Amino acid sequence: MRLMQFTLALTLTLAAAAASAGDLSVDLAPDPKNPASPQMGDNLSFHSVIRNTGATAVDGIIGWLSLVQIDPGQEQPVDLEDWSAHKAVTATALTSGETLEAEWPLRLIQAGTYRIVVSVVSRQSGELAASPFADFTVREKPVVESERVLPVAIGLPLLIAAALLWRRRAG
Amino acid sequence: MLIEIDKLRLRLGGAVILHDVRLSLGEGEIYGLLGPNGAGKSTTIAAALGLLAPDAGTVRVFGRDPRQEARTVHARLGALPEHGGFYDWMTGERYLGFFAALYGRRFSPSELRDRLARVDLVPRVGQTIGSYSRGMRQRLGLARALLVDPPLLILDEPTSGLDPRGRRDVHDILLGLAERGVGILLSTHLLDDVDRLCHRIGIIVEGRTVAEGNVADLLWVEGHDRRYRLRLAGEPPPAEVGHVAIVDRDGDWWTVDIDPAWPADATWRDLIAGGWRIAEIHREGGGLENLYLALTAGGTAA
Amino acid sequence: MSPILLIAGKETGELLLDLRGLAWLLAMTAVLSGFALLLVGDTELSLLDNAQVVYDMVGIVTAVGALLALVVGLDTIAGERERGSLVPLLLTPVARDGILLGKLGGVAVAWVVMYGLAVPYLWAVGSTGQNLAAGLLTLALLGTPVVLGFGFFGMGLGARLPMARTGLLIGLIALLLAASPLVLGPSLRQSAIGRAFDAVNPFSAAVNAYDAVIIDSQAITAQAANLVVTLVWLALALWFARAGVRRVARTSPCG
Repeated sequence: MRLMQFTLALTLTLAAAAASAGDLSVDLAPDPKNPASPQMGDNLSFHSVIRNTGATAVDGIIGWLSLVQIDPGQEQPVDLEDWSAHKAVTATALTSGETLEAEWPLRLIQAGTYRIVVSVVSRQSGELAASPFADFTVREKPVVESERVLPVAIGLPLLIAAALLWRRRAG
Repeated sequence: MLIEIDKLRLRLGGAVILHDVRLSLGEGEIYGLLGPNGAGKSTTIAAALGLLAPDAGTVRVFGRDPRQEARTVHARLGALPEHGGFYDWMTGERYLGFFAALYGRRFSPSELRDRLARVDLVPRVGQTIGSYSRGMRQRLGLARALLVDPPLLILDEPTSGLDPRGRRDVHDILLGLAERGVGILLSTHLLDDVDRLCHRIGIIVEGRTVAEGNVADLLWVEGHDRRYRLRLAGEPPPAEVGHVAIVDRDGDWWTVDIDPAWPADATWRDLIAGGWRIAEIHREGGGLENLYLALTAGGTAA
Repeated sequence: MSPILLIAGKETGELLLDLRGLAWLLAMTAVLSGFALLLVGDTELSLLDNAQVVYDMVGIVTAVGALLALVVGLDTIAGERERGSLVPLLLTPVARDGILLGKLGGVAVAWVVMYGLAVPYLWAVGSTGQNLAAGLLTLALLGTPVVLGFGFFGMGLGARLPMARTGLLIGLIALLLAASPLVLGPSLRQSAIGRAFDAVNPFSAAVNAYDAVIIDSQAITAQAANLVVTLVWLALALWFARAGVRRVARTSPCG
């Protein structure tokens, strides 16, 4: 009896997992208007489509954006706090064949190479569906430009020192 | 009266600096304020200028309270404080022009240069006050005090830092002003200045006026006649001249006191007529020095 | 010309034409240059760090401006008194309040000069970042009462204390205390004493406003509460200066 109960539970679990993992798919694509060679301060946008490919409805959809830096030696997840105000999308349910689309705008805060992915789970399942990765590289923008700072940092004190010397001679 | 101070008592920082000071100055008078260091001369002057409030007594300048009516009083007086400072980055002309404007007057650059020239100050073009000598600064301060031709001058050590020629020039300026009716209150250590300039003097010791009045009267009253040293070619005749008293003898040098009521010139004529063969005459600091020393003996000295 | 403008003009000359004033300006720009040059080599700054740089620079300009104003305020009373140039001014027929306003004008000119010198620095380090214009405006609106307040505070100290040196020492201690939010971490400011101090400290009010506008991109109009704290400080400092300058005439101004 116990063996029969275990087998039934396992079958139901496997059936449910098979339905979730196979029922939700996620596509991710960059916006065609994104700059070809973005730099710090630019804005990028990505478009995702969450589709219920199964025969039954899927309840409690949560999709979220993840960003990770993949520069060799600097691999680390990125806190989206300053990059994006839009970090997740939800739906009560997706019927069979229904899609949930979302735009993911990003402000590029720091230079580096990044990988972005949209992940999706449903309430009823423990499986994760993930989009293909989208990689992009952010160029450095010299935010403190020596061409600007040096003339000021050296020039202004020199100007005042010259005035001081002139007054000393005039006196 | 231009200045009237009576029974002045003044405390500073808890200590009584002035106990009982009196002073009066009229038009055309030069009044010398004398006293040892720390006696209260500068404090008295500060009270006359309205910078310090008396604890008792009266201070009147042009008949007004110099504190309550400061703007009215200050508009008509020129002052030279003892340790006056200047704006070193300015030229002398600019400095005078600045103060003239504060007095509501406007002078052209040539008028300002003329004002400087009156005190024999002729700086280089563009020369700033920072490069002035001490004597030049003193002259500039005097020029500032004279800027608006005030009827009253209050001067604290006006010849300080000046060479003998400079002091004589200042004397001539002050005497000329007094002749035109300007009243001058003068604080000084230099008895030569007092002797040459002052009609009346006041001597302050430890915050009190111990003597005040006409110089000759004070000398007479206090018994300090004028003193001279004479070199005689030979012995003086035995008969003495009434208003001349022999004080001391050192070889050919004779120290004599002359009654201040008698003019010195007349005294020499009397002595020569009486047979004195006078080869040299030197003023022995004057009876004023003895008067001052006698009255300030035991007074505060810095 | 009004005596107030004449005296303010004289004070301006002391700052811009006198060797002492020029030496102070040179020292102030050296501090700003030192900070700016430290940043030149760092090209790893993200946009957010750049906002931090602008915020730090604005804070330093406020602190340096307050120091200059304190020194100018002290010198315009105590320094002049020690040099002997105050008494001749007091003996002119200009009202005491006129002399005070003229000298207050001198302190204001010192800040205007300081602000003008700071603009190129802020442009150099912050023009590619965020909220530079808003930061400059916030510095003008909130930094001004903080800085002028220290100038007037210096005048009041100079009038009451016998030596300029003593006034400078007390003023520097007060300035260091007030500017401590620039160096203390947020955790220290979260204690009960820290919060109470923050609530009344004009420096904290200005720094909080800089943080809100430059880093958090808040509107300047939302900084009214911070502005009120700085204006209260300015009013108190002005009262302190006025009462002190009137006392200068009553105590011995002579050496």
